[in-house]
Amino acid sequence: MSDPSSINGGSIVAMAGKDCVAIACDMRLGMQALTVSNDFPKIFQYNNSFIGLTGLGTDVTTLSEVFRYKVNMYNLREERDIEPETFANLVSTTLYEKRFGPYFVGPVVAGINSKSGKPYICGFDLIGCINFAKDFVVGGTSSHQLFGMCESLWEPDLEPEDLFETISQALMNAQDRDALSGWGGIVYVITKDKIVKRLLKTRQD
Amino acid sequence: MDAIVDRFIQRPGFDEDVLAKEEMLDIMAPSSVPTLSLPPISQPSAFLRAHTDDASNPDVRIKIAHGTTTLAFRFQGGIVVAVDSRATAGNWIASQTVKKVIEINPYMLGTMAGGAADCQFWETWLGVQCRIHELREKSRISVAAASKILSNLIYSYKGMGLSMGTMVCGYTKSDPAIFYVDSDGTRLKGDMFCVGSGQTFAYGVLDSGYRWDLTVEEALALGKRSILAATHRDAFSGGSVNLYHVEEKGWTYHGNHNVGKLFWETKAAESSFNNVSTDFTSDD
Amino acid sequence: MNTMFAEQFNEPATNHSTAAPIEHRFNPYSDNGGTILAISGADYAVLAGDTRHISGYSINSRFQPRVHTLPGEKPLIVSANGFSADGETLVRRLAQRVEWYSYNHNKPLSAKSCARLIQTMLYGKRMFPYYVATILAGLDENGRGAVYSFDPVGSYEREQCRAGGAAASLIMPFLDNQVNLKNQVDPATGEPKIATDLSLEDTVKLVKDAFSSATERHIQVGDYLEIKIVTKDGVSVEYFPLKRD
Repeated sequence: MSDPSSINGGSIVAMAGKDCVAIACDMRLGMQALTVSNDFPKIFQYNNSFIGLTGLGTDVTTLSEVFRYKVNMYNLREERDIEPETFANLVSTTLYEKRFGPYFVGPVVAGINSKSGKPYICGFDLIGCINFAKDFVVGGTSSHQLFGMCESLWEPDLEPEDLFETISQALMNAQDRDALSGWGGIVYVITKDKIVKRLLKTRQD
Repeated sequence: MDAIVDRFIQRPGFDEDVLAKEEMLDIMAPSSVPTLSLPPISQPSAFLRAHTDDASNPDVRIKIAHGTTTLAFRFQGGIVVAVDSRATAGNWIASQTVKKVIEINPYMLGTMAGGAADCQFWETWLGVQCRIHELREKSRISVAAASKILSNLIYSYKGMGLSMGTMVCGYTKSDPAIFYVDSDGTRLKGDMFCVGSGQTFAYGVLDSGYRWDLTVEEALALGKRSILAATHRDAFSGGSVNLYHVEEKGWTYHGNHNVGKLFWETKAAESSFNNVSTDFTSDD
Repeated sequence: MNTMFAEQFNEPATNHSTAAPIEHRFNPYSDNGGTILAISGADYAVLAGDTRHISGYSINSRFQPRVHTLPGEKPLIVSANGFSADGETLVRRLAQRVEWYSYNHNKPLSAKSCARLIQTMLYGKRMFPYYVATILAGLDENGRGAVYSFDPVGSYEREQCRAGGAAASLIMPFLDNQVNLKNQVDPATGEPKIATDLSLEDTVKLVKDAFSSATERHIQVGDYLEIKIVTKDGVSVEYFPLKRD
């Protein structure tokens, strides 16, 4: 198992609701079978955009800082916050710059457009191809399990509280069937004027 | 008429054919070692490895369940056996409810690490051999003899791809014994063994709490606690802890303890696992 | 490129007519896709499977039933999913053994014994495995629903529910959540919910949901869903259309 994208483990899921989005991740960082840390969040916030980064741990950390730098530069040049759609394109181009020596990541972006108030979620492959979705996007070592959970639990126009329950159940039950994900969870539920962050009490095996 | 009958009784590939033999074997008197059919090539073990060994080839079609933590130790009050219950195939958790203690008979237990089917099948088979010994010799088999039957069997398949790491636990007369037997052919007598991908984590806790004069209660708690530690740090161990106590009169089952609940109870009771936060109010 | 040169110019010529038989890479397995799912209840067991049969990206058949009823007046249902040639062979041999058992012993084979029989049959090919995920469903000695699941070489376990085959990884966490109520807490007490027996109606609903979802996200699943239900009255079958794309 020397596949770079499954050395450290980890999972991400994002869902769209009625005027809200949610994004959730697990907390594990491992080295193959050994769990090294249970305090390794994979979701990062830049203005009103959120990105979940799964894959190789070093690339998760590096990219989160690259994006921090790039978003700060954007803020200085444009004198305004970056919108999720714009941020998604920034992620895409950043990844494609490394087309022939890619970062081993599976990013997921979520946010609410501050002008239109519309929910926005999308996923990427490791070289930046954007996958636009109206319902949900998943990433990481438990992506199959997450697809199964999301496809059966998700429904359109969920209110923030229901969206929280749906995304939490999707994440927890998916990671309980994946040896490399788990050891806690974080969920962000984002509405136009409020961000609610919750920590999940999960199995610790 | 005879010609017609002949056509049916001499149908090639029925009487003498391999397939028919295989079917007939099961019905006729059971031989002491079951026959396993082989692929029709010169190197059956290479074939098996190419198709089933997920360590050497992650894309194999047939994934055999691996990954485990099991332990057994001798102490003043007998033997404690504790195991986890997770089965994994690659990173996929195939089951969280596997029975990794195989009840060979009311007096003897075997543990399961490595190939689930190998352990399940051969330890059930061992149970049969032990019963046959009892009937022939009019006395219960010794743990040494039982483990040696298993060890010799496994050794006869050496290089064929069997994967087992097992502890045979029981009493010989009034003497508790643990034998570690694995698919390389190793057979060791000892006081304490941990086997599986999470063995090192279990040894850590077990060594720090082990004494010969542990009470039965303490010993069971220590076995359970050692498996818990392993399920926490080893990705391929988890699910629940199954606990057994072996005495001269036979073994007793001490329950299934789900790690989901056990972890938080243990953490609260002994203020341990401080790497895991209990503060679920987010800081922002 | 290098190997080509090696073969053409560097290899000494061998006389194939007198040499031992040449052994080519032996790959007797293929994957015919499909997914199966079994859930047991108080007095019933269901075993469902989609009817799509594939190889590679091609669909060989949209209706190739993969859930089989074993002979006898107290029937058991079984499916061996994966490489269908192996699966069909296993089920055919099993059916014959079950039939012979009933003639030899003048009683039907119990679910428990059938499970052990399947183990010995699968392990009998330990060195040349059947490439199948096997599930057996029926009623136990007390009339309760029973589901047994097997790995390719015969390790087995009795379970409440089990998904096998291509989309097992999509369906299984859903079953944990909805059948065994994993990660669900009672809002009133904050305690984990305890799983109880599902009604047959709810079970069939759950099975259809699980397969509809798996069909959306897995290319090897689709066309039709065949649901076989065992009760004390025998086996009944229900069909449910799935997406055909």
